[in-house]
Amino acid sequence: MTDQGNLRSLLQAQLSGQSLARPFYTDPGLYQADLDNIWYREWIFAAPLAELPKAGSYVTFQLGGYPVLVVRGGDGEIRAFHNTCRHRGSRICPKESGQATKLVCPYHQWTYDTNGQLLWARDMGPDFDMSSHGLQPVHCASAGGMVYVCVARNAPDFAPLREAADRYAAPHRPDELKVAHQSRIIERGNWKLVMENNRECYHCAGSHPGLCRTFLDDPDLFGSGDSQGSALGAAHVERCEAAGLPSRYLAPEDELWRLVRIPLVGETVSYTMDGKPAAPLLPGMPFANAGTLLFYHYPNTWNHYLSDHVLNFRVMPVSATETEVTTSWLVHKDAVEGRDYDLTRLTEVWIATNDEDRRVVQENQLGINSPAYMPGPYSQRQEGGVIQFVDWYVRSMLRGISGPARVAAE
Amino acid sequence: MAKTRQNWTAEPWQDSEMLECTMVIPESDNCATIAFRPPSGAWFDYQPGQFLTLDLPVPGGAVQRTYTISSSPSRPQSLSVTVKARPGSVGGRWLLDQLKPGMRLRAYGPAGQFTFLRHPAAKYLFISAGSGATPLMSMTTWAWDSGEMPDIVYVHAARKPSEILFRRRLEEYASRVPGLQLRFTVEEVDAYAVWPGYHGRLSQIMLGLMAPDYLEREVFCCGPAPFMAAVRDMLESLGFDLARYHEESFDAPALVEVPVEPSPPPGAAQIEFALSGITADCQGDDTVLAVARQAGLNIPSGCQFGLCGTCKVLKREGEVLMVHNGGISEEEIAEGYILACCARPQGLVSVEV
Repeated sequence: MTDQGNLRSLLQAQLSGQSLARPFYTDPGLYQADLDNIWYREWIFAAPLAELPKAGSYVTFQLGGYPVLVVRGGDGEIRAFHNTCRHRGSRICPKESGQATKLVCPYHQWTYDTNGQLLWARDMGPDFDMSSHGLQPVHCASAGGMVYVCVARNAPDFAPLREAADRYAAPHRPDELKVAHQSRIIERGNWKLVMENNRECYHCAGSHPGLCRTFLDDPDLFGSGDSQGSALGAAHVERCEAAGLPSRYLAPEDELWRLVRIPLVGETVSYTMDGKPAAPLLPGMPFANAGTLLFYHYPNTWNHYLSDHVLNFRVMPVSATETEVTTSWLVHKDAVEGRDYDLTRLTEVWIATNDEDRRVVQENQLGINSPAYMPGPYSQRQEGGVIQFVDWYVRSMLRGISGPARVAAE
Repeated sequence: MAKTRQNWTAEPWQDSEMLECTMVIPESDNCATIAFRPPSGAWFDYQPGQFLTLDLPVPGGAVQRTYTISSSPSRPQSLSVTVKARPGSVGGRWLLDQLKPGMRLRAYGPAGQFTFLRHPAAKYLFISAGSGATPLMSMTTWAWDSGEMPDIVYVHAARKPSEILFRRRLEEYASRVPGLQLRFTVEEVDAYAVWPGYHGRLSQIMLGLMAPDYLEREVFCCGPAPFMAAVRDMLESLGFDLARYHEESFDAPALVEVPVEPSPPPGAAQIEFALSGITADCQGDDTVLAVARQAGLNIPSGCQFGLCGTCKVLKREGEVLMVHNGGISEEEIAEGYILACCARPQGLVSVEV
């Protein structure tokens, strides 16, 4: 196990611009430290709003050690709870998603309202106080059509993200989307390798033949910069902004998240094999060749908002060397499969890309597992996004184990 | 030396002792107040608004039913429940028709959290419909007996003027304490009988007239579930702080028998359990769950009053009468699902069990 002193020295020995030391990718103690200092403190992307379309729709997932339940109440509000019964702790909703009129523990049928209130428990006696045995709430908020949760006692301020993501996503009509398809894969690699791999396209030309038909692997567009280094990117932002699409690079000072709209290859409009749209133009979009609105939020999501569909990616750590990636393909709710879109056409590029990424991440993990592994230098030009992610990670971990004051004094 | 107690030298009643029925007092059609005393001479200690659970030896086996207490613990010598028997009701029917003074019943409780003693406030608004008046009558009597000037607006919705529960007693209280304001509304009036009160379903506008300062009042509501839902919606849309709204909770589910009546008296019915190849004859007021059990089939169930939804099964054919408590959605009902615990077959019904 990694004790705090050991962890601190590992973090302090970390050189910016280099990949992390081996324990960060392999050690179960360090994995627990990741959970404690990042996953249990930050806002975590849980589900697309479109997965909770009506009262009683719910989604469950495992956030480290916490089973979490997100449900839309009868009043339309979305709330999150610890998915553990107040009786003897059984998970209340064992399914990954579904539709519930009431939340009923399958063990002894303790019955909760979708607002978490305990409604009924058999034979608990006259002195039993139902009102003090409701489900334990988890912080819950939405931004850009995505529901986030935070299991910390005090959640970080969500308002700046909500304001920004809602504004940028608005033309894609996040409230009017439906889930056309969802895929869930396990990558046998540490969660940071999954995120690092996403934050660069150094590997794209070698690994993603399908994606590269439409996605520009220009590091000036999607790296850590403001995308204005690319003349193409700058012109695209100008054109989109003029048409009312918020597109200009936007990120908070700590770069916890970022929003920017970038162009695709040539005249292509969507992630399809021929670059043509996969689904009808979303009603709020002024034109089809709007490129993609890139939105990441650390530690667990990256997203693409296109003119015809939206892609939400959710990363969940499973162990030190396993990560679950859930991808949701969202289209306008009125679009009809088979008539307005073809599911294969809509999903084939990213199903392939996810699988290609899975393979590179797994190879990366296997190599790092070697005692011979030593941290190597990132490409400053190609891997600026990775450097920024790893710096954020080291900073967050140091703040987690030391408290914010000490980091500020660095 | 401690002063000798003149009264209540006995201990309070405990539910290990059976209760003896002492009086059955008619209130209106199909409605009576039933008074009990413990044979030992014990007295009753409870909070106004609580309920009592009775073991009723109905034909075909005992059933348990909960009833809110209509008497007040400020009058601890006896305890009464006021029971309205709906068409098709089993427990209520037995109490009105079979229970006679001198008979003894096993009873449990009193229990429940619906009481204004838990929420002290300067001003109250009591809202009830039908037999939902009973816990509010108990609270009102307590307030009247307290010797202090109460500030209660008492709103009651009844079907007809003659069905306003406790009307004369309430008018007697109200004529002696100006702080008790009575507001009645009825759905129908009798021809040639003067009715000066409100007419029609309780509405937002009516509520504003009945208690213009309702925003300042602690609200206690009891009645059929749809009635309470309507009151809650009304208050919420008027900006009322729902933290100060209290309604009868689900731990006493049977206390308000929701007034959905089977139009004909329960007749012969038959349930086909399609997957099991069993067909059972039954009555129109039997539940699908009970009939399944009698037929040797077991449908997993929980609450047995239509809340938890554990006993949800698919109905293939036929009609059921179902009074549930929110354990099934309109969509599921539209898809043909029923809750076996509270679905009663009307004629031939086929279910996937």
